Amino acid sequence: MLSIKNLQAKIEDKQILNGINLKVKAGEVHAIMGPNGSGKSTLASVLAGREDYEVTGGSVDYLEKNLLEMSPELRAQEGIFLAFQYPVEIPGVSTINFMKTALNQIRIHRGLAALDAVSFLQLMKERMKLVEIDQSLLNRSLNEGFSGGEKKRNEIFQMAMLEPKLAILDETDSGLDIDALRIVADGVNKLRNKNNAIIVVTHYQRLLEHIIPDFVHVLYHGRIVKSGTKELALELEAKGYDWIKNELALA
Amino acid sequence: MSAIIEKRNLTTELESIFLTSGFAADANRTKAFKAFMAMGLPGNKSEEYKFTPITRALEKIFEADAGRDRIETHLPSTHLLLIPDLKCNVLAFVNGTFSIEHSVLLDEDVKFQLTKQDAAANGADPFDLLNQALHPELLEISVASKKLIQHPVAIIYWFDSPQFVFANPRWKFTLGAQSSVSIIEYTLSPGSIYFNNKHSLIEVGENASLEFTSIQNGPATDIQVNNSFVHISSSARVACFTITLDGQLVRNNLSLIVDGQGVDAHLHGLYLITKNTLADNHTVVDHRKPNSYSNELYKGIMNGNAKGVFNGKIYVRPDAQKTNAFQSNRNILLSESATINTKPQLEIWADDVKCSHGCTTGQMDEEALFYLRSRGISKEMSRSMLLNAFAAETIAPMKNEMLRNFLDGLITEKLNKSF
Repeated sequence: MLSIKNLQAKIEDKQILNGINLKVKAGEVHAIMGPNGSGKSTLASVLAGREDYEVTGGSVDYLEKNLLEMSPELRAQEGIFLAFQYPVEIPGVSTINFMKTALNQIRIHRGLAALDAVSFLQLMKERMKLVEIDQSLLNRSLNEGFSGGEKKRNEIFQMAMLEPKLAILDETDSGLDIDALRIVADGVNKLRNKNNAIIVVTHYQRLLEHIIPDFVHVLYHGRIVKSGTKELALELEAKGYDWIKNELALA
Repeated sequence: MSAIIEKRNLTTELESIFLTSGFAADANRTKAFKAFMAMGLPGNKSEEYKFTPITRALEKIFEADAGRDRIETHLPSTHLLLIPDLKCNVLAFVNGTFSIEHSVLLDEDVKFQLTKQDAAANGADPFDLLNQALHPELLEISVASKKLIQHPVAIIYWFDSPQFVFANPRWKFTLGAQSSVSIIEYTLSPGSIYFNNKHSLIEVGENASLEFTSIQNGPATDIQVNNSFVHISSSARVACFTITLDGQLVRNNLSLIVDGQGVDAHLHGLYLITKNTLADNHTVVDHRKPNSYSNELYKGIMNGNAKGVFNGKIYVRPDAQKTNAFQSNRNILLSESATINTKPQLEIWADDVKCSHGCTTGQMDEEALFYLRSRGISKEMSRSMLLNAFAAETIAPMKNEMLRNFLDGLITEKLNKSF
């Protein structure tokens, strides 16, 4: 589904990604871990098409297409979804209207008819249950005045609505208490199936107790320096990131 | 034939207009005109007009008009309603003069009469003084106590003339205690050249309810100065909406005099301007009595060479304890050459009050734009959604739903076409 080869990227004059290689197949969950400043969020942003970042080398193929040539909206229409680390507050735009517009843009791109108001509301009610989100929240302006947990739940609600092929969760666990974490993770698990893939970007292991990854990669200085299975995450939790840093220093 | 081209002076021109108007015999008008002459037309040193070169704009027009022959205009008995489905009481000024033929009343509780002149003098503003000296007559509109006026009262300034029109319409609306009305004012013209120098006063009675909406939507030749006063008695509810979408130069002096307790006053403004339009909003909220509330929200989006000016004065007089007064001015600049000059001015003499003000100026919110695009919404549509949401907040509290929907449509159309 996704094939990243030697990906390099910078923001302003700062080189952040120094040659990432990663293959993700349908049905897989990959966790990207790493210390602060290692380039985790940059990787997520570059995949979603954030224009502040400049790709200076390498390639990303997504479903046999060159992802890097696509606009952010086209990527979304093609099935990529980024759950933001810091979801943006947009006063004056209700979540419902926003979701209806987004979903119908994506449906039209996929050759499907736009949903009418009734079918949309029906779908929305069904997906709201997945993340235990209240309709009163969705009637309000997008993320405006939402708590940290509500914002993250709203991200997963949007994921449930848009049914992406590749979802990238950027630090979705940050700022969540244990209950909210469980709700968000349960939502993600319900959406997980053999046709889609998920990349979980996280600093801590605790989210991976709920969303069990097939692969764990450790990012450091803009490179994947270690890959393994879910046990690697436990080892990291036990030994800390200094273990990786020291190991690299010795090599 | 003299070959010397005389440099025309606008002030001299205005003096000759006044002297030949037949108004010079009147003491009040003469007093106002003398006060105007003493003050002079505002130049770029004038504190109140330093960002708004209205004198220069008027000089050009008077100059261009000077040599032209006077032609009798034939006015079509045109349909003056802005919104076909919104039936209104229509009071129309045609080329600056009230026209009974173009006016229609639907609610019998709305009364009006014409008075030769307005004896009441205002007069801190040079254009207000000019209106005081030169208004053809005063249109007095009134609604008695305990009347709910079903249809809005539309006050229309219709300009259709092959030559320049210098108009000084003047009206006064007295709204009785416990009565309710929606007043809408707007200018209509196929593109004539005019200067609409309006003065209006709305007296809002105790516990009455007023919605006052000014729609300023061109044409591109439109030059207008509005000296609008709203005098508010106890427990009255007032909401003013000033929406500027087009025109050459629009200056609004909107003053709310909160002269009672328990008043609930809202001032909302939106200027959505592009090309060379200049929109200047000077507002005053004058709290003279205790226990009242005012909330002011002005927003602007400027593109092209458009210029926005906002100056918001709030006065809280010594007697106006327990006043709550808030002000906010937010702006988005979409081009390099668009500008905004914004200045809050709070003067508070009472000590037990809650007042706040704030202003922001920024560009398009790139983070928000990316968020919408990352959900599959095109760049153009995302941009339009964000600008619409920003603008729509200013008219969201409008009670007249048909008018609000109409304005929503105008705003969307304007944003899609010119932004």
